[in-house]
Amino acid sequence: MRKFSAFAQHALAAEYVLGTLRGRARQRFESLMLEDPALGAIVRGWEDWLTPLADRITPVQPPERVWRAIEARIGTRRAAQEPSGVWSSLAFWRGLGTAFAAILVALVVFFPRATQGPTAPSMVAVLATPEADPRMIVERRADTLVVSIVKPWADMPGQDLELWAIPKDGKPRSLGLVRYNANTEVRLANLDQKLTGTVAFAVSREPKGGSPSADGPTGPVLCSGAIVRPVQV
Amino acid sequence: MTTESPHQHLANLLARSALGDRRAFEEVYRATHSKLFAVSLRIVRERQLAEEVLQDSFVSIWNHASDYAQAKSAPTTWMTAIVRNRSLDVLRRGAHEAEDVDEVMALNLVDESASPSRDHEMGQDQHSIRECLEELEADQRQSIALAFFHGLSHSELASHMRKPLGTVKTHIRRGLMRLKDCLGRHGTVASDRG
Repeated sequence: MRKFSAFAQHALAAEYVLGTLRGRARQRFESLMLEDPALGAIVRGWEDWLTPLADRITPVQPPERVWRAIEARIGTRRAAQEPSGVWSSLAFWRGLGTAFAAILVALVVFFPRATQGPTAPSMVAVLATPEADPRMIVERRADTLVVSIVKPWADMPGQDLELWAIPKDGKPRSLGLVRYNANTEVRLANLDQKLTGTVAFAVSREPKGGSPSADGPTGPVLCSGAIVRPVQV
Repeated sequence: MTTESPHQHLANLLARSALGDRRAFEEVYRATHSKLFAVSLRIVRERQLAEEVLQDSFVSIWNHASDYAQAKSAPTTWMTAIVRNRSLDVLRRGAHEAEDVDEVMALNLVDESASPSRDHEMGQDQHSIRECLEELEADQRQSIALAFFHGLSHSELASHMRKPLGTVKTHIRRGLMRLKDCLGRHGTVASDRG
């Protein structure tokens, strides 16, 4: 849709890295970067050229409490509070791995409700943070996706959580918004179509109303998990 | 010499951090925190905010240390970009208006684009970018340096430099494109203007 000339791409990337691209323009540019790896590469190039200027800044010692706070945060898995830009989210997509099978087993044991009910789920995914902290469960029961909360997220004023189907190939497909502190039932007319080829689910934090981009999440992906066919016990 | 370069050492520590090695991560922090704190402090201008930025940035660095392998940049470049972006996010949120800028400027506005005295200590990129800054017109150089080091927006630059907004935007845009051409001549960047 919005196709910039190479010149305009460089001009925008340069002002983004310099910091003079502000406000909504900055946010829009970050979304574009997520959609367009070539644009991301141009930004990386400008970072490589401009950032060494900072080498000359006279260091200032921060107080020791900063490290103690970091230590506490990386120890307590507070991924939900972690502020991150578009750069951060790519790692999540790659990280859909085998660790989740083990988490699922644990959850079936500790949260038996998740896999029981009037209709047996035909697919289940445990959505965990990058630190392997399980936060949400997605189950398909007939034509409904039930999204349950394992551990509620902190309140996020002005923002919404959006659920995504991650196909084996192609772009993430939005399945709509989900609540951060309570279970959500997602009913979509074309659910089968939306889930074609889906191997995983993910939840991202988005501006109010959901991702402004048609191509996928613009905010950080908070948790994700591969789909597992539940074992009948 | 068989000792690894500081760059390589830091890259290795980040790789170990990605595997969950907290001691390695603490080493990364100790090696870079005072530089990165200074970078943020200049932009956000308040110690409390800069401390928050540093904290948030390092949590992010910890969580995304595995991304660094793909970054292909110097570790300090990757980390500095995270800290600068976070600092600019904080500015975007906060109400830093032009009036406190002049005050800060008076305190602390050395012209960081001048004096190439320490270039021999710097890496190749640093050398090139500094040489290229020298080639810019004074207004272009000053506005780029103020934006980069102090996080000034177009309108803050206009008020500080007492120039119309449009003029300042032109300085920035032309200055950046001249930088790109100059870096291209140094072989730092392939010239691919379309």
